[in-house]
Amino acid sequence: MTTSDAKSPSRFRFLATYLAGRSLDVTEARPGEVAHTDGRFVFVSAARSVSERRREVLVQSALLGAGSLDRRLVKMLRGRPNVARRYLALEGHRALAALSARIPLAAALCPAGEPITSTADESLRVARGSKNVAPAPEWFGVIRPSRLLGAPAGGPSAKATARDLRLEFDTTDIPESQDDGDTEQGKGSRILGLFENPLASKSLSDFFNKLFGNSRTPSDSAAGGEMSVRSMRRANRVGRNARPLPTPLRFGNHGTPGSTVGVGGALHPEWDVHENRYRPEWCRVIDFPLRSAHDISAAGVRHDEVLRRRLARLGLGPKVFRRQPDGDDLDIEALIDLAVDLRSGHSSPEHIYLERRKLARNLGVLILVDASGSATESDRDGLSVHDHQRRAAATLALTLEELGDRVAVYGFRSHGRSAVHLPCIKPFGHRFDAGSRAGLNQLQPVGYTRLGAGIRGAGEILKTGAGTPNRLLVVLSDGFPYDYGYEARYAEADAHKALEELRADGIACLCLSIGTSTPTDALQRVFGSASYATAPALADLSPRMDELFLAALRELAAPRPRGVRPTRPRVCSG
Amino acid sequence: MTSLHKPARPAAEAPFYRPVTNEVDVFRAAARRGLPVLLKGPTGCGKTRFVEAMAYELGRNLITVAGHEDLTSADLVGRFLLKGGETTWVDGPLTRAVREGAICYLDEVVEARQDTTVVIHPLADHRRELPVDRLGISLKAAPGFQLVISYNPGYQSVLKNIKESTRQRFVAIELGFQPVEIETEVVAHEAGIDIEAARTLVRVGDAIRKLDGTPLQEVASTRLLIMAGGLVAEGLSLRGAVESAIVRALSDDPDTVRALGEVVDAILPMP
Repeated sequence: MTTSDAKSPSRFRFLATYLAGRSLDVTEARPGEVAHTDGRFVFVSAARSVSERRREVLVQSALLGAGSLDRRLVKMLRGRPNVARRYLALEGHRALAALSARIPLAAALCPAGEPITSTADESLRVARGSKNVAPAPEWFGVIRPSRLLGAPAGGPSAKATARDLRLEFDTTDIPESQDDGDTEQGKGSRILGLFENPLASKSLSDFFNKLFGNSRTPSDSAAGGEMSVRSMRRANRVGRNARPLPTPLRFGNHGTPGSTVGVGGALHPEWDVHENRYRPEWCRVIDFPLRSAHDISAAGVRHDEVLRRRLARLGLGPKVFRRQPDGDDLDIEALIDLAVDLRSGHSSPEHIYLERRKLARNLGVLILVDASGSATESDRDGLSVHDHQRRAAATLALTLEELGDRVAVYGFRSHGRSAVHLPCIKPFGHRFDAGSRAGLNQLQPVGYTRLGAGIRGAGEILKTGAGTPNRLLVVLSDGFPYDYGYEARYAEADAHKALEELRADGIACLCLSIGTSTPTDALQRVFGSASYATAPALADLSPRMDELFLAALRELAAPRPRGVRPTRPRVCSG
Repeated sequence: MTSLHKPARPAAEAPFYRPVTNEVDVFRAAARRGLPVLLKGPTGCGKTRFVEAMAYELGRNLITVAGHEDLTSADLVGRFLLKGGETTWVDGPLTRAVREGAICYLDEVVEARQDTTVVIHPLADHRRELPVDRLGISLKAAPGFQLVISYNPGYQSVLKNIKESTRQRFVAIELGFQPVEIETEVVAHEAGIDIEAARTLVRVGDAIRKLDGTPLQEVASTRLLIMAGGLVAEGLSLRGAVESAIVRALSDDPDTVRALGEVVDAILPMP
């Protein structure tokens, strides 16, 4: 869709959208086919010049704009190529004539003479009759009823923005609880009381008691009144870019402290590449605080000076410092105070300058560490991939925290789609203290890698927890997604899709494969849409970590220059 | 300091403004009551021009302050400066407007830091007074004083949204792009070109605004159309003017520029 080729048909997409009055894209038809449309795309014939294609787009989108290709009318053309041809000649002429008042281009291309018909229905009638109709020029193309009726209506839609996707609950329409501290509720049910007989045995009443419980429904209204009744409308058609939202999980009722100890979760969708659709509410992703015995001896983290120096330059916003000993501007307030001080016989230090320095940190980073069993293969030093990743995560988190960025560290592993776990090693807002470091160092690799769900879950945490304008997800993984019913092309496509979604939501992604032997082309398939890098150890990446971070963040800041392949920073493993 | 506000005298001749709906009536009523006004609308749709026109009509001075990131409350209220051997107080634009009874127009107020916008709170409710803590006084607003702020929704980041407590003190007037007929008249008048050329320009602008699903951040504003009209009045061809003033101004992306060029080419008269 986005190519820099000047002859690419996508250059007509705005023109088509304007003429049709709805979102429309233009693409090339298969060789040998003539121009046609399916209501979402205009297909222009291959191997034609720009001006020839322009008139094909003009007539096809004008037909859509004039309502000539409404389903009702097109149904009548099904299986009647002759009628369709005559109808196209009439309607093409009519649509172009209608446009020519506004669009000089249409006026120049419109066949001579007044159109014979004035409405689409009239054209259809004439086309089905026996009246002589001048044949349409070849560039009018054809009407393909099968394609028009087969495509979902509505046309390609614009990408959903973060605002559209934000989950909001309107709490005002929840029916108010009837519970007003009515003490009667605590007592046994009146109905059950009927079965109680002080003289006879209580077995019948006990039986009912066991069966139904011994209290009344918790409200005084009619049966079922305690349940809040809502309705939900489902759209039966969705646009091309529509995607399901995560559904938050509720743990137990309000009484259980799940949310207070930091357990959260949601049902996330998953991309099914074979069916080319999402599976909504497919994966249950749960994030929970990782509890570990506080063995502080395992809390050592290697410092990386190079990394620190590199990252220190990142994620900075300008900040104004007042009353500085020197700077680029005078601080008038300070200057006047100084003058007043001097005048009154008191000499204070001359801190009278304003200085603007890039020091305000505005980066939030979530580090997602692969804690699955696939990361256990080890290299010649006896260090497993998992060890490498763990160390890298610790060093990264420590460095970023020291620099003042907001950092969180989560692990991820899965056991099938209903148990994707994101153990939280360090949440946003907590310090990366000895306990968290020990927790990270003792993270044991088990389970499988449902990468897509892990990325979606982490993205959700980053969206709600980071609170900074720039957000970055760093995925430390071997790039080998595998789980029950989640492998090969399906898994790669899902992870790829998940990264794409994040970027659409304004979250930068950087994927690091450290100490792995996954072939580069596999990484390309999984991480294709994000920046990624591989190296035998973190130290090999440190000297260029700033570039990697910036490349990931920059992709969000501005549209990528077209025609240049996106930079894929890569360090070849030796 | 003085560069912050424009000379506070009424414009020599009436600024040209074509009302679209009831915005003039709303503003007049608010002005009679001394109610502060919040102007909303996209870039270049005539917010500043509207305030100028209203100030002229009401015969009041207009003091404009452009909001920026470092705008402090001292920049608005005033500060002590050294003059000869002693400090003298110099009024900021807001204080001046309060004393003189002028209209104070704070353009793009959300750009300013949030603590700055808070100084306008006591002015924007029933108190109508400006506390000047440096002087230890509280200035009662002169009868003609009115506060007008402008705000471009959706353009700022989430972090720079207008505070609810600020927003609720204002009468909101929403300005949009004018209907085709009025806009044609405006473009023709402002750029000094004939109605036919203006109509073509407005048609181009309208087409770009109606495009669905474009990657454009902003659409072609009336200001852009007037700029293109100005180029036409200077002897440029319509095509050349639209290309440099509209198409290339809206996007840097060669792909988008090309696609917009196709729309424009279809609408402009054939060469």
